[in-house]
Amino acid sequence: MKRALLYVLMLGGLLGGCVTANVDEMTFDAPVAGMGEGSIVVLGRRHAPDYDTEPDFIDCIGNHISRGSESISVIPERQFVDTLYPWFEPRTAPLSIESVGRLMMLPSVANKLEDLDLNYMIWIDGRTQDTNSSGSMTCGVGPTGAGCFGFGTWGTESEYEATIWNFDDGAEVGKMSALTSGQSYMPAVVVPIPIIAPVQDTACDSLGTQLLRYLSAGS
Amino acid sequence: MVGRLLDSMTLGRKAQRLLMLIILLVLAACTSREVIVEGTFPTPLVDPVPVSVGVLFTQEFKEHELVDDATGRGEVSWRVSTGTAQVEFWSTLFPAFFQNVVFIESYADLQAYDVDAVLIPQVADVQYAIPLYTNVKVYEIWMRYNLALAEPEQIIDEENATISLENMQPFAEWPLTSYGKTPTAFMQSDIDAVNLAAVMALRDAGANFITSFLRVPGVMDWIKNPEEAQ
Repeated sequence: MKRALLYVLMLGGLLGGCVTANVDEMTFDAPVAGMGEGSIVVLGRRHAPDYDTEPDFIDCIGNHISRGSESISVIPERQFVDTLYPWFEPRTAPLSIESVGRLMMLPSVANKLEDLDLNYMIWIDGRTQDTNSSGSMTCGVGPTGAGCFGFGTWGTESEYEATIWNFDDGAEVGKMSALTSGQSYMPAVVVPIPIIAPVQDTACDSLGTQLLRYLSAGS
Repeated sequence: MVGRLLDSMTLGRKAQRLLMLIILLVLAACTSREVIVEGTFPTPLVDPVPVSVGVLFTQEFKEHELVDDATGRGEVSWRVSTGTAQVEFWSTLFPAFFQNVVFIESYADLQAYDVDAVLIPQVADVQYAIPLYTNVKVYEIWMRYNLALAEPEQIIDEENATISLENMQPFAEWPLTSYGKTPTAFMQSDIDAVNLAAVMALRDAGANFITSFLRVPGVMDWIKNPEEAQ
């Protein structure tokens, strides 16, 4: 029994080394200078019929930027959307910076955005999903105990695009994207041991780093 | 079947009954889901419409629930109670959207308050979809409301000193639809996902109401001259 567990752990370690993540980065309109001190908000797009950009991914990007720069204040997504309800709901959220101009014609919205002292609004659109899967696993329960035997594997892909709106200039100033993929494994000899590829975390790190570089360029 | 299984066991009558009750409770729990919609609703950021409105939530509205009984093998019965959340949500939205709002509970309220019109929201339909039925990894809720704006006199039954909607002739009447969805990825259970989809649908209903209210036929004329409803 102990030997079997040891083999499983060794196999897990070996396969853990095989977990890969590919990152594809694209940046347009490279910035000349960073934003310095100011506040930004990172928002997820939620108007697609078959997916929502995950709120935890948006939090991850926000935290990445907060950790990377003390001068940038990141307004939490939920707080921002609630403060400006109903103007950033899936039905009403502006799809272009020009639409924000129309929104600013409402005195209450204009005053609130001024209070928030917002420099940049960053929209994230995308998702993480499982792709191919293969393998099989059987589990059983007997008088002496329970256990599983088999092997399963599945692929995961993350694709996200960030669009940056500059509130001071009233213009869209940048777009960047991250595409990551990886393979996860689950060998089982008595106990199933999941070896999960950190695909979404890698996408978060990649996109967060690009955004941070953009927002703090030159500083 | 459960009874036959218990008969085959060497158990006392009381123990059999207890075991049967436990088995039935477990089976019931496996095949039905009950959601009492709960959420926190923000106050809308709007410039109030300069009118005085009485809001009447009917008993059906306050107690609204969607019941969908399982019809096939592997299906689950759902009971989604939205009434309390409906009242909480619209009670937050209306006072921010209109300059003056009073909630009408009785005939006496109608006599006591001087309002330009009474707004009556009613839930016409609620539908839901879960990944089990659609093969798409999202939970969805659709809501359809019927809203009516009527002069206070229209809903007063002087004879019986009560509120009556039977012969009401509203000067504005319109449908309102809303939609909310939740991806499965970050939710922990079906119940949490359906609850969040319902909260999103309520928020969407509010967004739709706020952005479409002034375009409802008859409303603009009423706002320009609230004393004389059409």
